[in-house]
Amino acid sequence: MASYKSPELREKLAAEYVIGTLHGRARARFQALQRYDPELRRIVAEWETRLTPLSAAAGEIAPPARVWQTVARRIGAARGGVSRAGLAFWRGLAVTSTAFVLILAAFIGVAPRPEPPMAMVAVMNDDRGLPALVVSWPSMTAVREPYVRIKVVQEHPVMAPGTTWEMWMQPPGKEAPVSMGLITTDADQTMKLKPALATRMEGAWRLAMSVEPKGGSPTGAPTGPVIFKGQCVKIL
Amino acid sequence: MTGDRPVPDALAARLAELLVQAALKNQRAFADLYSLTASKLFGVALRILRRQDWAEEVLQECYISIWNHAGDYAVQKSAPLTWMTSIVRNRSLDWLRRPRQEASGEEYEIAVEAWQDDAPGPVERLVASSEAAALARCMQQLEAKQRQSIMLAFFHGLSHSELAEHMKQPLGTVKTWVRRGLERLKLCLGEAA
Repeated sequence: MASYKSPELREKLAAEYVIGTLHGRARARFQALQRYDPELRRIVAEWETRLTPLSAAAGEIAPPARVWQTVARRIGAARGGVSRAGLAFWRGLAVTSTAFVLILAAFIGVAPRPEPPMAMVAVMNDDRGLPALVVSWPSMTAVREPYVRIKVVQEHPVMAPGTTWEMWMQPPGKEAPVSMGLITTDADQTMKLKPALATRMEGAWRLAMSVEPKGGSPTGAPTGPVIFKGQCVKIL
Repeated sequence: MTGDRPVPDALAARLAELLVQAALKNQRAFADLYSLTASKLFGVALRILRRQDWAEEVLQECYISIWNHAGDYAVQKSAPLTWMTSIVRNRSLDWLRRPRQEASGEEYEIAVEAWQDDAPGPVERLVASSEAAALARCMQQLEAKQRQSIMLAFFHGLSHSELAEHMKQPLGTVKTWVRRGLERLKLCLGEAA
């Protein structure tokens, strides 16, 4: 089998894929390759950008109304089938976390509450990989009282009696996690941060949530199981 | 640079905004997105599939897919219409390559003939769209055979062997036309940018 490493071959195959002459198994194989090769996807996207304007010459032909009727019915049905549409939305987006974060940025941007734009976000997933909490925070220099905003996007799990949940910020490298505070059962809450922690939030690498005894970890480090965690991403 | 996203015009900006709204499951925004793009995309599907019923089915599937994956758009490097058109083109091409579906007599006539000659008409139509002006100019600089084979492949999803048959030329010759044509296009578009 040909090597897909050669830049000339990759370029040629990408062009043929986009123009449509790559057929059959070669086409299927090339599609499969793209899935794990972002660089190849980039080459394909470049060819798409180059050639797609040709489509303008295809001319516009209005499809019959039944096409939209079917589409509308199907996207409506897809939504009604789930008990909480919002949940389905978050889950759907969890597939591509980068896309998720970008959309989330737009979402936070239109939030009714007047607040400074969020500078960073962490989508904290549960052990099944489904988003449970979305934590976002503005640039700490832009606010008087530093805080993070926490949105619960799953059915809020019940805290076992006598336990609390503690949020941890993991700095990059081998530094120990720093406690941010205890989360409440509200679906949308803000957690105030100590100034010393606030200055470090810009460099946060990951957030984690652990189950702790009432009052929080007695040792200053997580003692119980970590139930949610998520990487921090700069969005501003 | 050739790979960059074209300067976003008003339509592109509007479509991008609607895609974000669609990712948030805003059905109203999605209806607007549909009405702004359906005719363009149906034209694309119809050119490749040449059957109304197939084109309708593919278009339907594509919009469902766009609804479900609108969130992915944000990470794409391409303009919104390019992204959506590529979805339709790819699905149409995949559809065409299903285990042999014999085309019946119901083929939808859409003046395919216009594409089989040297096709100055469509190229001129391209110039009207400013985004495509550079591409149109570069297409015009190709040799007639190169341009014709690229057009046939692009619009009708013809394979190399189908192209060869259609143009009554040896397979190798047709392959070379397509390859050289694409190389020259890339070069020309690079200079234009």
